[in-house]
Amino acid sequence: MADEKTYSLATPIDQEPKKHSVFARLYMGTGAFNIVGRRKIWYSATVVLLLVCIGSMIFRGFNPSIEFVGGTKIQLPAVSAEGRLDVDRVEEVFADTLGKDPVAVQEVGSGPDATIDIRSETLTNAEVAKLKDALYEQLQPLGTDGEPDRAAISDRALSGSWGGEITEQAIIALVVFLALVGLFLAFYFERWMAVSALLALGFDLTTTAGVYSLVGFEVTPSTVIGLLTILGFSLYDTVVVFDKIKENSKNLLDLTRMTFPEAANLAVNQVLMRSINTSLVTLLPVLALLVIGVGMLGAGTLKDLALVMSVGTVAGTVSSVLLATPLLVDFKMRYPEYREHERRVMERRAQTQQRKGQLNEQISVDEETLEAEMRRERAYAAASSVPGRTLRRIDQQRVAGKEARRSGRGSGRPTGKPTGKRRR
Amino acid sequence: MAPPAGTIRPWRHLAIFLLIGIVLYGLVFFTGDGKPVPKLGIDLQGGTSVVLTARTPDGSDPSRESLNTARAIINQRVDGLGVGGAEVVLDGNNIVITVPGSGNAEQAKTLSQTAKLGFREVIAGPFDPAAVAAGGDEKSEADDEKAEKGDKSSGSSGDKPDSGKKSGSDADKGSSSGGGSAPAGQGALAQQPDNDDDLDEQTKKEIAAARKVRQHKDLASQDPAKQRAAIERAVKELQGCAKNFDDPLRGNDLPDLPLVACQRPSDAAGSSEDAADEPRQAYVLGPVVLDGTMVASSTSSVNPDSVGYQVNIDFTSEGNDKWSELTAKLAQKSQLQGLDNPARVAFVLDTEVVSAPSVTQQISGSTRITGDFTEQEARELAEILKYGSLPLSFETQDAQSVSPTLGLSSLRAGLIAGFIGLALVALYCLFYYRLLGVLLFASLIFTAAVVYPVIVLLGRSVGYTLDLAGVAGLIISIGVTADSFIIYFERIKDEIRDGRSVRSAVPRAWVRARRTILSADAVVLIAAVVLYILAIGQVKGFAFTVGLSTALDLTVVFLVTHPLMVLAGNWKILSNRALSGLGLVQDEGNLAAARRKARTATAKGV
Repeated sequence: MADEKTYSLATPIDQEPKKHSVFARLYMGTGAFNIVGRRKIWYSATVVLLLVCIGSMIFRGFNPSIEFVGGTKIQLPAVSAEGRLDVDRVEEVFADTLGKDPVAVQEVGSGPDATIDIRSETLTNAEVAKLKDALYEQLQPLGTDGEPDRAAISDRALSGSWGGEITEQAIIALVVFLALVGLFLAFYFERWMAVSALLALGFDLTTTAGVYSLVGFEVTPSTVIGLLTILGFSLYDTVVVFDKIKENSKNLLDLTRMTFPEAANLAVNQVLMRSINTSLVTLLPVLALLVIGVGMLGAGTLKDLALVMSVGTVAGTVSSVLLATPLLVDFKMRYPEYREHERRVMERRAQTQQRKGQLNEQISVDEETLEAEMRRERAYAAASSVPGRTLRRIDQQRVAGKEARRSGRGSGRPTGKPTGKRRR
Repeated sequence: MAPPAGTIRPWRHLAIFLLIGIVLYGLVFFTGDGKPVPKLGIDLQGGTSVVLTARTPDGSDPSRESLNTARAIINQRVDGLGVGGAEVVLDGNNIVITVPGSGNAEQAKTLSQTAKLGFREVIAGPFDPAAVAAGGDEKSEADDEKAEKGDKSSGSSGDKPDSGKKSGSDADKGSSSGGGSAPAGQGALAQQPDNDDDLDEQTKKEIAAARKVRQHKDLASQDPAKQRAAIERAVKELQGCAKNFDDPLRGNDLPDLPLVACQRPSDAAGSSEDAADEPRQAYVLGPVVLDGTMVASSTSSVNPDSVGYQVNIDFTSEGNDKWSELTAKLAQKSQLQGLDNPARVAFVLDTEVVSAPSVTQQISGSTRITGDFTEQEARELAEILKYGSLPLSFETQDAQSVSPTLGLSSLRAGLIAGFIGLALVALYCLFYYRLLGVLLFASLIFTAAVVYPVIVLLGRSVGYTLDLAGVAGLIISIGVTADSFIIYFERIKDEIRDGRSVRSAVPRAWVRARRTILSADAVVLIAAVVLYILAIGQVKGFAFTVGLSTALDLTVVFLVTHPLMVLAGNWKILSNRALSGLGLVQDEGNLAAARRKARTATAKGV
C-alpha cells in the first residue's frame, strides 16, 4: 500500500499523463498539484501568519484616520492664480490666521487634480470660515472655471466618534452577515463546508487587518467597509471550490475509485485556474482604482476601498484554495464512514496492483476478466466525475438517450456519459 | 424550459434583453427630466453635507418615530435657509443633510441646535409683518388694535403683570450676558453650551441683538405706547417674514421672555414653491407657559364632528395644570374680545409659530385641535407636538464642504479608473479566452449598459445618489460580473476536455455553471444587502452598487451570455484552436474521444 499521504491524482480519463508546463497544467486543471496532501504545510503557514498578524494588531495597533480621532481637514487645489502653491506657504497662512500650527500639511495627487491637504485639531465653524477667507485672499486657489474661487476650498470637520459609530455598525453588519451566510452555506452545502468556509473567512479578515497593522496603512471607515466586502468576495471563491467538491464527491462513498481527499484535491485543481482568473479579474479593476485613486487624488475613498480590496482579494483566493479545502477534508475525515471508505479504496487499489503484477507474470490468463474489470472501473470513474448528474432523472435519460442516438453508438457499454442508472 | 435541459432558444432570450434595454432607456429619456444623468453625491459634484447624530437627554437610542420627527424638524430648518436642492435623510440614528452646490450652504453646519417646543400665549397677531414694518395707515390701525388687545388681556387676567415683571428682569439678564448663560429649554439643558460653542462670535452677537429687540420686555408691557413702540421695532427685525429670512434667533429664543415670531411656512415639508412665497404672518407672543416636555402624547385623527382632521394632545400632570390655567385665562380673554377675535395660544418650535389655535373655553385633560387640517397637516402638527415630549439634541458628526473642483476630480478619477479597469479585464480575457473573450467583453458592456439607466432611474424615483463609494462599488463589480462568465467558460472547457464538441458542451456546461453562478452571486448579494441595511455612512452607496451590479450581472448572464454562447457554439470558427483559446483542452478532448473510439472498436471486434 502506498503512503497514505501521497495520492495518485491522475484524471480518470487521462490514464497516461503527459508532462505539460506549469501553466498548461494550471490551464488543464488535471489535478497535478497536490494541495490537500500538503495541508500540514498550509496549516503551519497559516498559524504563523495569524500569530504575526494578531501580534501586530495587539502590539503595534492601527493607524486610525481623522474619522476616528476627530479633527478638521481642509483641502484646496494646489493650483492658484499665482501658480503652484507651496506647502510651507499654506502652513504659514494657517499659523498666521489662527495663531496655532496645523497637525500636517501635504500635497497629494498629481496634475490638475493635485490638492493640498491640511489636517488640524478640531476647529470651530468660525475658525474654519476665517481660515477659508484667509486662504482664499492670500493664496487665490482656482475653481472649476479657472478663476480664483473661495468655494474651491473644501473642508471637513469630524467628531472623533463618527468613525467609531461607523465601525460599530459595520461590526453588527459583520455578525449578521456571518450568521446569514453560515445558514446559507449550511443549507446549500452542508455543515462542515459552512464551518470551513467561515474559518477561511476568519483568516482573510485577520490577515487583511494584520497587513494594515503591519504596514501602517491608515484605517478609515472606508477600510472597514472594504473589509466587509471582502467577506462576500472571499466566500464567492470558496463557494465555487466547494461546489466542485460537492459535485466530485457525489456518490463517492459508493465507489472505491477515489478517496475523499483525492476527490477534494481534484476539485481544487479543476477550479484552480478559475480561482486565479477570478482573482486576477477582480484585482485588475481594483488595482486600476488604486493607481488612479492614489495617482490622481492622493487619498480618499477610492484609495481606501481599493487598497483593502486588493489585500483582501489575494488573501481570499489563497485561503479558499489552501485553507478552506484542507480544513474541509480534515473535518470530513473525522467521520468513520469516510475513513472506512478511504481504507476500502486503498485496499482495492492494492488488489488491483497485485492482480496486475500477477498478470504480468502469466500474461495469457484471463485477459477478458481484466478487460471487464477495467471497463467497469472506467465507468465508475466517468460516473463520478462527469457533470450532469444533478439533472432531473427524466432529463438525464432524455439527454443520454438523445446523445446516444446522435452519436450512433448503442448503449450497453460505458460511454463515459451518465446514463442515469447507478451501477453497482 | 424546452427539453433537453440547458438548451434554450437563444434569440428569444436576446430579444427579452433587448426589450428590457429599450424599456429602461425609454424610461430614462421620456420620463422625468429626460436627462440621462445620474444623481451625483456631494463628493462628486461639490456641496455641503452634514451628519447629525440625534441624542436623547438620557442617552438612550431615540426611537424611529422621534427620529422621523427630528428629521422633519431639521428639514424645516434647512428649508429656512432658502438653499435649493437640499435634502435631509435618515441614516441609522443619523440625520444627513446634503446641500449640493456651493451657495450659502455652509450655514447648514449650524443647524444642530436642540429643537425646543414651547406654548406661548398670543398677545397680538396674526398680522402681516411687512405692513407693520412699512409703517402705513394699516400699521397704526393694527397697532392700535394690538395695544388695545394687550390692555385687554392684561386687564383680564390677574397674573399678567406679575409674569411681565418676572420676564422683564430675565430679559435684562439675557440681553446683557449673551447666549452662553441664558436659560435654555428644559429637556436639552446639557446640550445647549455645546451648540453655543459651535457658534462664532458674530453669530452670538447677532443672537444677542435679535433678543434685545424681539424679546424686549416692553412687548408685554402694560403701557400701550411702550408696547406699540417695542412691537414696531421688533417687527422690523423680521424682514417681513420673507421666505429667505434667516432668523438668527432660530431656536435661540429665551423661554421666559415675550417674543415676536413668524408663522412657520405653510409647506414646511417643502414641496410647492409657490405656497412658501406667500408672506407669512407674524405674532407677538407671551413667555413660554408650557414646554414640550409637558406633552405626554399627541396624535392625529379624523374629526368625528365635522369634516377634516384633528390633532389630539394629552399632557403630563404638571402640563395639565398649567394648560388648564392657561386656557382658563385665554377663555376669559376670548369672552371679553368676542367670538370674532378669540384669544389664541401659539405652539412655537424653533422660534416659529407652528400653529396658533384659538381658545374659547377652559380645557383640562385631553385637548383636541380642530380646524382646516388636511390629513398631512394634522399628522405633521401631531408629530411636532409629540416631539416636544422627547427633545433630541444633535451632535455634528461630520460636516464637510466639498468644492466643485474636488468633486469633479473625484468623478474624473472614478471614470478613468473604471475605464482602465474595464480595459484591463477585457485585455486579459481576450488574451486568455481569445474569441470567447469577445463574448465576455460584450457581456460586460451589456451589463454596464443596463446598470447605468437603472442608476439614473433610481436617482429619479427613490432619490438614489451615486457617490464616490458607489462608483468604487461599480468598478469593483466588474470583477464579479466577469467572474460569472469565467465560471461558465471554465465549465465549457471541462466538457470539451471530456471529448465533447463545443456545440454539445455548451448546454451541459450551462446546467452546472448556472448552479455555481447562482450560489456564488447569492453570497455577494447577501453581503451587499446586509451592508446596505445595517451599515451607515458611505457604505450604503458602495453596497448598493455592488448589489445592483450583481443582480444585473445575473440578468445578463441568463439573457445574453448564455444565448450568445449557444449561438457561438455553432460557429465553425471556434474549432480554430488559435482563435478559440481552447487548443489544449481540445487536444485533450480529441485524445479522449479517440481513445473511446478505439475502445469501441475493440469492443466491437471482441
